[in-house]
Amino acid sequence: MGRVLDRIYTIAGAISGCLILFICLLISAQILLNGMGRIVPGLLPSTIPSYADFSGFMLAGATFLAMAYTLRSGGHIRVNLMIQRLPKNRQVVFEAAALLFAIAISGYALWFMCSLVGESLHYGDVSNGIVPVALWIPQTVASVGLGLLFIAIIQTFVELIRTGRPVLSTPDEV
Amino acid sequence: MSDPMIALTLLVVLIGLLAAGVWVAIALTAIGLVGLVFFSNAPAGLILATTFWGHSHSWALTALPLFILMGEILLRSRLSNDMFTGLVPWLSRAPGRLLHVNVFGCAIFAAVSGSSAATAATIGRMSVPELTKRGYPESLILGTLAGSATLGLLIPPSIILIVYGVATEQSIARLFVAGILPGVMLIALFAGYVALRAWMNPELIPPMDRTYTLREKFAASRNLIPVGLLIVGVIGSIYGGLASPTDAAALGVVLATILAWLSGSFSWRLFGEAVMSATRTSCMIAFILLGAAFLSVSMGFTGLPRNLAAWISDMNLSATTLLIALTLFFVVLGCFLDGISVVVLTTSIIMPMVTAVGIDPLWFGIYLVIVVEMSQITPPVGFNLFVIQGLTNINILRIAKAAFPFFLLLLLGVVLITIFPQIVTVLPDMMGN
Repeated sequence: MGRVLDRIYTIAGAISGCLILFICLLISAQILLNGMGRIVPGLLPSTIPSYADFSGFMLAGATFLAMAYTLRSGGHIRVNLMIQRLPKNRQVVFEAAALLFAIAISGYALWFMCSLVGESLHYGDVSNGIVPVALWIPQTVASVGLGLLFIAIIQTFVELIRTGRPVLSTPDEV
Repeated sequence: MSDPMIALTLLVVLIGLLAAGVWVAIALTAIGLVGLVFFSNAPAGLILATTFWGHSHSWALTALPLFILMGEILLRSRLSNDMFTGLVPWLSRAPGRLLHVNVFGCAIFAAVSGSSAATAATIGRMSVPELTKRGYPESLILGTLAGSATLGLLIPPSIILIVYGVATEQSIARLFVAGILPGVMLIALFAGYVALRAWMNPELIPPMDRTYTLREKFAASRNLIPVGLLIVGVIGSIYGGLASPTDAAALGVVLATILAWLSGSFSWRLFGEAVMSATRTSCMIAFILLGAAFLSVSMGFTGLPRNLAAWISDMNLSATTLLIALTLFFVVLGCFLDGISVVVLTTSIIMPMVTAVGIDPLWFGIYLVIVVEMSQITPPVGFNLFVIQGLTNINILRIAKAAFPFFLLLLLGVVLITIFPQIVTVLPDMMGN
């Protein structure tokens, strides 16, 4: 079970990585078109419609989908200076409390993110660029990402209770 | 409760959460919720969702993963291996000799990667053993490394300036350009200090082992030069208004990838590692930014920053007094928090105060980054100190002592840009719009 979940987080993280690469390609293509437009005007269209919107949506997808993967690989930053000074059994108590707190906050955010998707669907909200994009589509991706984070935190909590020691590695810095 | 009391309570709760090991992004979001639920009548959940969504897909923020990816790719190319050998021939005659490798190596690397810990680790891994072997004094080796690595935060393309720009809605292009001269100034201060020490105690510095011809110099640094050109190109195109930071970052990634392939020893596996590492770092930072954005919106609803700003301006503080107070506050805060958290906290709560006393937000961004640099080398939570401790196994307090002169030099830098704000503003002003 745990391994399957970790697999899913990693796949979501890989999708995030691909989205970042897509952003890079999209923007590079736009720059290329700009340059082409100056050398031989009119040969190709000079802009990719709504490319800034699409980059933005892909960025949102990359951020949210990578959240669980980043958490499990110890990438989210936190202060563990105080905690590390404590005896091992106290550390577990603090870790459990921090995880429960994170479950509450991320669950709350997930709930309202889903209701935002519901609203976008209900009102048929679209982005206001040249190419209108139904907002529920990228927002659903964001909700999926938050959902994975929520599950990943719960999983981390369960593992902590089961093994009796903190599971996550700690990041050095940015 | 009075506003300063509310602010203080929120700050204490936040520090409590952080000290208990709650993730920074989650803690910021939680404080935002506390503000909305207890000190305003706004619908907290709805605002949380719309802020998270609204701030996650901005064009300016798109530069963040791309610049991180550019750094990660160059980090894995041969560049980092060639840094030491490439710089040695150029610096062996300078007063202080190879100690300058730390200063200039860090400065070049800082331009490639936006992170000071990565800079300290990459440069230190090569320079500390080499310099120790050649008999340079330990305190200066460690000090120059710890101090110069903090340049990673300031020299563009700087990740922390993107964070500041996104959080305060300042132009990232102008922030990058504003960081150039102060960065050069700090490099000059560091190199000048090393030269001064070498000049005062010539016996500190081991003698020159050999001289190099011009041809040898260029041959040794042939792998550094394309990277230098890449960085100059990226910054230059932003400065010249040819490209937005996001455009420049995308091109930077493409060019960095091509350079890495051409220099050899780059592979699909390394490329994949670079992408995944950039994904994690950018997700971590973006998540913190979302938490901070929500905190800002929440604080806007409570009216707290506005009232604090009014409270400060009622006290008739001069800009200088406020800056002295803030510098002290940031140095203390920076002892416990990482740089990005310090920046986003500032922008959520302190920004209105700063603009109320007439401080230019562009200038303040550069000031803030230098102060955060100072906090990177102060114990107990100086990240550079940890990194160097990890590299050398030397006691952290001894490293902190070696880094202390550089802390003072950074402080001098802050004083200089306060007395001569033109150091920051002249280049962005020349840029026009």
